[in-house]
Amino acid sequence: MTGVTSHRQRTVRRPELVGLGVLATVGVGLIAIAAEWITGVGATVIAIFLLAALVSVVWTAFVGGLDARRALAPYGLLKPGMLWLCLFFIAPLWSMLEMSLSSKKSRFDFLPSFTWEWGNFQKALTDFAPQFGRSFGYAAAATLLTLAIGYPIAYVIAFRGGRFRSLLLGLVAVPFFTSYLIRTIAWQSLLSDRGPIVGTIDKLGLNAPLEWLHIMNNGRLMNTPAAVIGGLTYNFLPFMILPIYVSLEKVDVKLVDAAMDLYSTVSQAFRRVVFPMSLPGVFAGSLLVFIPAAGDFVNAQFLGSPETTMIGNSIQNQFLVQLNYPLASAMSLVLMAVITASVLVYARFMGTEDIA
Amino acid sequence: MSTRQKTSESQSPRYSRREFLIRSGVVGVGAVSLPAILSACGGGGGSSQATNTLYFENWPGYMDSETVALFKKETGIDFTYTEKFNDNNEYFAKVQPLLAKGKTIKPDLVAPTYWMAARWIQLGWAQKIEMEAIPNAKNLRKDLKSPSWDKNNEYQLPYQTGIAGIAYNASITGRELKSVEDLFDPAFKGQIGMLTEMRDTVGLIAMANGIKLSEISSFDQVASAFDKLEAAKKDGQIRSFTGNDYMDDLSAGNFAACVAWSGDVLQLQAENPDIKFVIPEEGGTSWYDTMLLVEGSQHGEQAAKWMDYIYDPVNAARITATVQYISPVDGVRDELVKLGGETAKLAESPLLFPSDEEIARLQSWGALSETEEAKFDERFATIIGA
Amino acid sequence: MTAAQAPRQAMGRKIVNAIASLGMLYLFAPIVVIVLFSFNQPKGKFNIVWQGFTLDNWRRPFAVPELTDALLVSLKVAFFSTLIATILGTMIALALSRYKFRGNGAINLFLVLPLTSPEVVLGSSLATLFISRGVDFGYVTVVIAHVMFQVSFVAVTLRARIRGFDWTLEQAAMDLGASPQRAFWRITFPLILPGITAAALLSFALSIDDFIITFFNAGSLVTFPLQIFGASRVAIPPQINVLATMLLLGSVLLMVGGVILESRKQRKTLAVTKTRK
Repeated sequence: MTGVTSHRQRTVRRPELVGLGVLATVGVGLIAIAAEWITGVGATVIAIFLLAALVSVVWTAFVGGLDARRALAPYGLLKPGMLWLCLFFIAPLWSMLEMSLSSKKSRFDFLPSFTWEWGNFQKALTDFAPQFGRSFGYAAAATLLTLAIGYPIAYVIAFRGGRFRSLLLGLVAVPFFTSYLIRTIAWQSLLSDRGPIVGTIDKLGLNAPLEWLHIMNNGRLMNTPAAVIGGLTYNFLPFMILPIYVSLEKVDVKLVDAAMDLYSTVSQAFRRVVFPMSLPGVFAGSLLVFIPAAGDFVNAQFLGSPETTMIGNSIQNQFLVQLNYPLASAMSLVLMAVITASVLVYARFMGTEDIA
Repeated sequence: MSTRQKTSESQSPRYSRREFLIRSGVVGVGAVSLPAILSACGGGGGSSQATNTLYFENWPGYMDSETVALFKKETGIDFTYTEKFNDNNEYFAKVQPLLAKGKTIKPDLVAPTYWMAARWIQLGWAQKIEMEAIPNAKNLRKDLKSPSWDKNNEYQLPYQTGIAGIAYNASITGRELKSVEDLFDPAFKGQIGMLTEMRDTVGLIAMANGIKLSEISSFDQVASAFDKLEAAKKDGQIRSFTGNDYMDDLSAGNFAACVAWSGDVLQLQAENPDIKFVIPEEGGTSWYDTMLLVEGSQHGEQAAKWMDYIYDPVNAARITATVQYISPVDGVRDELVKLGGETAKLAESPLLFPSDEEIARLQSWGALSETEEAKFDERFATIIGA
Repeated sequence: MTAAQAPRQAMGRKIVNAIASLGMLYLFAPIVVIVLFSFNQPKGKFNIVWQGFTLDNWRRPFAVPELTDALLVSLKVAFFSTLIATILGTMIALALSRYKFRGNGAINLFLVLPLTSPEVVLGSSLATLFISRGVDFGYVTVVIAHVMFQVSFVAVTLRARIRGFDWTLEQAAMDLGASPQRAFWRITFPLILPGITAAALLSFALSIDDFIITFFNAGSLVTFPLQIFGASRVAIPPQINVLATMLLLGSVLLMVGGVILESRKQRKTLAVTKTRK
């Protein structure tokens, strides 16, 4: 009797450690098996071990009573989803790392073999430097533009929407219920040389200034960097509007009134009170626009020219046309590394909670 | 039998339901390898039994509305016809994971362009067709017989053939175009389109440089053509590289002129009579799409019946009347005349039935070795910016 | 506020409104094109230049079998992936908002990683795993890929939705003698169900519209976006516009329905609180 009690107490004292430990172990174990760090007999042994670990949690919950069960519950709830991500998000990254250091003996070899081929990274960084440059450049431009267009929209909806707020917000989302590709293709018709936009510009005589700004090129908009950036801006605009709206919504109107009393002008009140309070939304929106834009290849494909291709086009081409999986993997990893670095810097500043 | 052995021995393991349930119970801890789990629930690749069926995966917009139904009715074969063959390289990438492992794919017949068909045959992804079962194969045009990569005509029959030349929008160019050099005219800066199909784009430029396409075996021979193309791209002369979608740009007025395929332009002219097609003075490329029986398909017999059916000039003419490409079948011209009306006019079309003088200007590529082809593709990919 | 500032403020107000209206115009311009061209009557097989008005495409929206098949494939994939992702994602969201536990921060970070990775990386890395482990591409791989990004999405959106949830309600039910299961299903679940539904609907939309990740992992399977991509290189039939417009109308109706329901509920709760006072 006493034996059981003391055992129970021992287990109950730190059940959450058991839960966390098992979650981590099983996750790593799954990655190990999927990434084939361990194969054959080793994998079976590990699998049995992982199974035993799972059984031990269940057992802990069973003997540990209500408290232990409560402490273990979050890990139980997390497990299926987290394991899915381990298996299909982390393990793939590992196998991509492996692939990026592999090489093919002959061109139509299906599976490259691992050879510590660092040349893939070298090639990715030298031959594809322009594509990387354009990706980050266009994505940055698109981020600034979405901010310039999205902020006023979010502002008007949040402060002047009144009871139509949710309707207006929904209206913003409506265009994005059509297919991404169809939207982009529709821009082709709008931007074409004989399309409505170029026509309007001609009528208004705006050609010269737009050419000077390098937005137009020889009287055309299609297949220019401006068209690609415009497409990116369009397609990722809601990712800017929504987070800004969410943060603006939290701003208390009374606070703005008070600020106006203090600072006397609307613009000052905005600069000193409203804008700082919306910064989390701006930061979240910027990341949510910048990241997908940097990896996009659809806009460059449909609206661009051979001089405006982005790294996504190259990855897609190397992977699905040239069948050069190693080079494509190296390029993906470089892209991922740059973006992860910026996300981590961001997380440092803002905390992860606000990304959603 | 242990799990490991079973997975490594057979590529497509099938489990009993009970076994699978036990396994999926263990999935949580990952006791089985990933492919085993997935193929157990996915049912593996499309393995076809010898039933009276046939599946043909063709390029889009490449068939009239009646032939498929007529063939089904006449032969009783359960014929599936789809149009998902969009791009030679992409299709290759899609099927490679299966075919390279010795599995087969769902379609029995596919329609790669001649150079891609050569690659499939070389890789052992195609099987021989029983030509004795195709009496109408005698109607195959002489110039298409015995290509260097299928000397005995045993692996494929052409489906449609065509010419790559120059298409232009006369209302924009304001003049007649004749030569490949016209594509490099600074007056059309930023209004020129080129095809992503390397052999057609580079082929035209190479011919303009006086190179004979059939003699090309190494990259160095055509390096000059690639240089010329790259210079034009850097200059902004070339607006974009496209697939069939050059037709959008051509009719929307974005392209003044582009490298184009004959049949497309014929169809476009229905919408926009300003659009012209010309085989350049220096020469055009001739190409064809094949019908290839996929290795592992159990439906060679049905495939032969299908090929025999569409090599009957009557049926071939019906397809030609709709798709307006050049038929590989002799005797189509007479059948078109018999059909009468608008269709009979097609028999007079120089794009469907080019004159001997024009045919003399056509050239086609020979086979390239794997390493050389890689150089071509790599350089071309750099130029198109990918 | 002085009298002189009033006109300036009105000006500023007008400018902001004008920018916002232009922004809305920008948002809707392509939509107008899409809807308009669903009524086009192309002479050839290309739907690029306006040729004339017709209702034919709307009379025969399913006239292109490849397109219809692809749409069905997409719906099927979206159904299964959303189902799996909603269950897994909801469990994660519950764990994160209901309990305080060790490793919370790490798991939060882990969860947003898939959302902050470019799609091209997610797609190509998963395809690399499948290729190097010899997994055949098809339905299963596409569903797996979609669940992968949907799980994070559902978890993060739902967690945000139920951040302010009053967990003492559940406790109260248990104090009154309900078992934890019963307390959850009778009290908590109905209250968070709208949040779950919203997250599921959005992730369904994500799945239907996903192109980049699917492109890498579909093999010969053709989803709706993949079919559009294929068609875009050859000929885009007006039926694409018709189906796109239908999807658009469907989702707008869903959304409007949601807004109406919510405002009704708000009015009701308002009424309840008023009577209580």
